[in-house]
Amino acid sequence: MDPSEVEFLAEKEFVKIIPNFSLDKIYLIGGDLGPFNPGLPVDVPVWLALNLKQRQKCRILPPEWMDVEKLEAMRELERREEAFAPAPSPYYMELTKLLLNHASDNIPKADEIRTLVKDIWDTRIAKLRLSADSFIRQQEAHAQLDNLTLMEINTIRQFLLDSLNCMYKLRSNRQPASAKSRLADY
Amino acid sequence: MSDALSEDGSDINQDDSQEEVMTPAELIAKLEEAWLNEKFSPELLENRSEVVECVMEQLTHMEANLQRVKKGDAKAGFHRMEIDRIRFVLSSYLRSRLQKIEKFFPHVLEREKSRGEGQPSLLSPEEFAFAKEYYANTETYLRAVALKRMPPNLQAVDMLKAVPEPCLDSFVFLRVKEQQENILIEPETDEQRDFVVDLEEGSQHLMRYRTIAPLVSSGAVQLI
Repeated sequence: MDPSEVEFLAEKEFVKIIPNFSLDKIYLIGGDLGPFNPGLPVDVPVWLALNLKQRQKCRILPPEWMDVEKLEAMRELERREEAFAPAPSPYYMELTKLLLNHASDNIPKADEIRTLVKDIWDTRIAKLRLSADSFIRQQEAHAQLDNLTLMEINTIRQFLLDSLNCMYKLRSNRQPASAKSRLADY
Repeated sequence: MSDALSEDGSDINQDDSQEEVMTPAELIAKLEEAWLNEKFSPELLENRSEVVECVMEQLTHMEANLQRVKKGDAKAGFHRMEIDRIRFVLSSYLRSRLQKIEKFFPHVLEREKSRGEGQPSLLSPEEFAFAKEYYANTETYLRAVALKRMPPNLQAVDMLKAVPEPCLDSFVFLRVKEQQENILIEPETDEQRDFVVDLEEGSQHLMRYRTIAPLVSSGAVQLI
């Protein structure tokens, strides 16, 4: 899956915005939004929030977890725990990137948040690499991956799945039953 | 507008199957599930033409309404953006199905042939026509460029053997939507023994597609 497609899914998440225009309730196929009143916070999907922001029609309120203190606590927890700690949000990396790139002026301490999220990401990816390594070494057939986010799975997907498939082919060729069917092919 | 639609649905079929009373939002969620499952499963899944058709209907309906709105209306802009997003998912879904049909066409057609009476079809009628045409064109092409110059006893080619089968032993990532117990996991090496796992609702796993293929089609797990 392309990272942009994961980002596409992340854009469905809701954020609070403060619009500077007024508009009645709108009835989208995916659900109703609004009504929009200047100065009153309202929930909208990220794709709409970013569009409004780019047209300077709203201010975006950062999601609750996007807060220096909370993220620091999460970074500590992530470093301390051996397993994956619950992620700040199932789309924390994508949302951080989207919101900080397009609305950094609405988010207090944007630079610190960027660094913190990057730290959390790096720690988690390091864990992911380690566990992928032991998964392959021990030739496991099943792994439970709670708390991993889609973006994290996606960064390792191609490489891990292809390697597993290659190893499976090499291994099954050694077994007599499949070796016979190989011969038939030639 | 979406309100009106969902109310219509529930009025008509109060005790009918769930599909009939789906709200448009649930419909879009269904489409996204089908999209991700199709993207990640190694084999072609059952067609969801009822979902595709309903989504198409919604889109056409919405677009017809937008035709009547005058230019520069803020709401129309929101609706257009949403339509574009849904259209993207829809075409990506259909495209990934076509790619799989192109990749596995003899096996897809074989399964379609051996399908019993009453069993749901893997392919939508359009996809079936596409697969048959693709098969015929590939055969004609092979004949034109090479086969007809071969000695007569080597001119036949068995497509089923020539085209690799989907590898059901590939690993997939999945999220559990309905709790499952006692899923048998086959070991990787001979020294290890079979073991079973329980799939808790909401948990995520990495395992072979073959083990959980029936759960994907029943909707109990979602590939991610």
